[in-house]
Amino acid sequence: MSLAARFDRRPVVLIVIGALLAAALGTALVSGFRLATRLREDIAAVQAASALQAYPRELVREVSGLRERLEVRAYAGRALTTLRDSTRDFNERLQALAALDHDPARLASVQQRWRGYRAALAPVLEFRGEPYVDSDAASTRLSADGRGLYASLEHARLYALANAHGFDADLAAVTGDLQASASAAATRLRLLLQGGVLAALVLAAIAAWLLLSRARHERAAQEARERTRDILRTVREGFFLLDAEHRIGSVWSDALTQMFGREDFAGLGFRELLAGFVPETTIATALKYVDLLWGDRANENLMKTINPLSQLEVHSPDPLRREPRYLQFDFHRVTGAQGVKYVLCSVVDVTANVALARELQESQQGADAQLEMLIGMTRTDPLQLASFLDTADAGLKLVNAILRSPARSDADFRGKLAGLMRELHALKGEASALDLSGVADRLHALETRVSGCESRATLSGDDFLPIVAKLDELVAYLRGIREIAARLALTEHAAPASATDAIAPILEAAAARIALEHHKMLRVECNGFDAIPQSLAKALKDCLVQLVRNAAVHGIEDPELRRTRAKGDVGVVSARFARTADGYELTVEDDGAGIAPDEVKAVAVRRGLITEAQAAAMDTRAAIALIFRAGFSTAGEVSLGAGRGVGMDVVARTVRALGGRIGVATMPGKYTRFKIHVPTGGKDAAAAA
Amino acid sequence: MNAAVDSTLKLLIVDDSTLIRRRVERSQRFDRLRLVGSAADGVEALALFSRTDPDVVTMDLTMPQMDGIECIRRMVALKPSVRILVISALADKATAIEAMASGANGFLNKPFTERQLNEALAELLR
Repeated sequence: MSLAARFDRRPVVLIVIGALLAAALGTALVSGFRLATRLREDIAAVQAASALQAYPRELVREVSGLRERLEVRAYAGRALTTLRDSTRDFNERLQALAALDHDPARLASVQQRWRGYRAALAPVLEFRGEPYVDSDAASTRLSADGRGLYASLEHARLYALANAHGFDADLAAVTGDLQASASAAATRLRLLLQGGVLAALVLAAIAAWLLLSRARHERAAQEARERTRDILRTVREGFFLLDAEHRIGSVWSDALTQMFGREDFAGLGFRELLAGFVPETTIATALKYVDLLWGDRANENLMKTINPLSQLEVHSPDPLRREPRYLQFDFHRVTGAQGVKYVLCSVVDVTANVALARELQESQQGADAQLEMLIGMTRTDPLQLASFLDTADAGLKLVNAILRSPARSDADFRGKLAGLMRELHALKGEASALDLSGVADRLHALETRVSGCESRATLSGDDFLPIVAKLDELVAYLRGIREIAARLALTEHAAPASATDAIAPILEAAAARIALEHHKMLRVECNGFDAIPQSLAKALKDCLVQLVRNAAVHGIEDPELRRTRAKGDVGVVSARFARTADGYELTVEDDGAGIAPDEVKAVAVRRGLITEAQAAAMDTRAAIALIFRAGFSTAGEVSLGAGRGVGMDVVARTVRALGGRIGVATMPGKYTRFKIHVPTGGKDAAAAA
Repeated sequence: MNAAVDSTLKLLIVDDSTLIRRRVERSQRFDRLRLVGSAADGVEALALFSRTDPDVVTMDLTMPQMDGIECIRRMVALKPSVRILVISALADKATAIEAMASGANGFLNKPFTERQLNEALAELLR
């Protein structure tokens, strides 16, 4: 501020001094002009006075000459005329000199003397008579007038002679005086000229100084501009100003070019800047936000918290750059006396920060997950945990099967997605119920991916790849849980090979959970599980889990419906294992709704497993067998009731792998019974697992 | 505060839970406010607004009957000098901006701390 004030004041002082000098110079010039005029007059006066000096003697000479002519009776007219002329001449010159001279006192004595002369000369000059008388008797004689003229001449001559010296001296004095006056004027003029030249020099110096200082300021301003330009060229942030019409100002930093891939920022609208990078809704919100900045309703802090562009995900229009970038916009009001002048916007590419934050978060989540896994496991009932792990295994196998099932049309893909969604959602519910949030979160993430695919306009096999990757991660995570559980011996008597003891509690726990979820009441009765050979334990347990779940979800009705069918509120699922002559038999039976062949057919048709014609030709037996077809259980929005289809195809495949067979008997509204027959010494159980 | 002149501002609370009301009443800034009513939905809020002519309104955006944004717009249309603080669990910025653009004067996200409420009220009564 003080610097600026100093810069402002100095030229003003100089301009005042310059004006004073110019005024002085003007005055000097005017006075000089007057003096020069005066000098010219003085010189003319000196010349006139010099010329007058010759007259007194001339007059004496002319008077004497005229007297002599009278004496010799010569012609006197001419001489008289000459005298008259001289007198008039002198008179006129004297008057001219008096007009030129500005000091009336100076000529006073000369005029006094001249008046005496003229008085003396007057009778001579006024003579009009004939001076001579001619007579034959005598020679020419003076007439009476002539004698009078002669006497006047004599008087004038004597007067002139007597005053000649004084007149001369007076004229000389006047001349000298005039010369002195002229000389003084000349001296003054010289002084004035010197002063004027000096003032002109000072003025010129001031002008030069002003020009120089202005040039210096301009150079400084130019340098400042260049530095600003350098800053804007070098700085990594994007800077620009927005006016009230959302237009970008004429100054911006070059980093914007890199960020937005263009250079025509001046006058560009904020909308146009963002267009193509972010969705229209975001742009509309951002513009509304900028409008709020122009008002004073919200303070800076609040505005910061609702900044919609604080971390903007930007997708390049360039299809080769798939990775999104993250831009952070900050807005600052720039205020002047009239309120907000414009809005300063800074843009920073925070992609690296976002990636880093994400990495940190992920590693933090990893650590959290480990801890959560441990804590969750210690809280979870070991049997329930084991049961869940088995359910999850089966469920994820099913998910895998869905992912692997061939699909060509868009409808196929969408069917797969629907199946995935249902399975994942069900598993998530179970994981949440057991407080295994690490698992639940992963399932949720998977679900999000699947629903992301669903919202896509067109689908291809590639869209499923991220799901597969996430699924692998979840499987690894579950394996981790299983290992830790084993190490902590939490499932030591449940998980180890002698799974037979634990199968019943697992089934009971699963059934209890499903009952709770579906608002049903049911009981699981297990018989003969001690007889399950070690080699079959794992495979049969998987089948049992699926079948019991299936019965609980789809077979057993809710209590109200059961009451209308004259059944007890509590549904019963019974599972029996027994040796037979040639092998083993596992029976799972529920007293629920049974399977309606027409519904099964309808689902299979909808799912594209069979055609309408095939369905029409199908008998009940064949229809019910459809539930074991891969892809059937994934279809089912309305397959066997609301909720989740269960992977009967997985069961069927497991049984086939054991070299056994599976049969189903059902009566709508009464019961469903699955019977699995496995031969002794069948294929290795491991192959089935 | 001058006892002779009632210099308090009339406050209307629009929220379907009584929790907000209790917290606002407990706030340090409440000495400048006088509760004239509380409404649980937008229609009720507008009716109360016309009847009680409040100076300050706290407003939840997620209410039955009427969209909170619409409610703000109508209140500002009825009384342009009214100061409205949005207190809402709708965390997304677009909603906050929409509310501000519709005439709200402040925005507070649920859940909030005592201090955040005090600051928001101080800013609102500025």
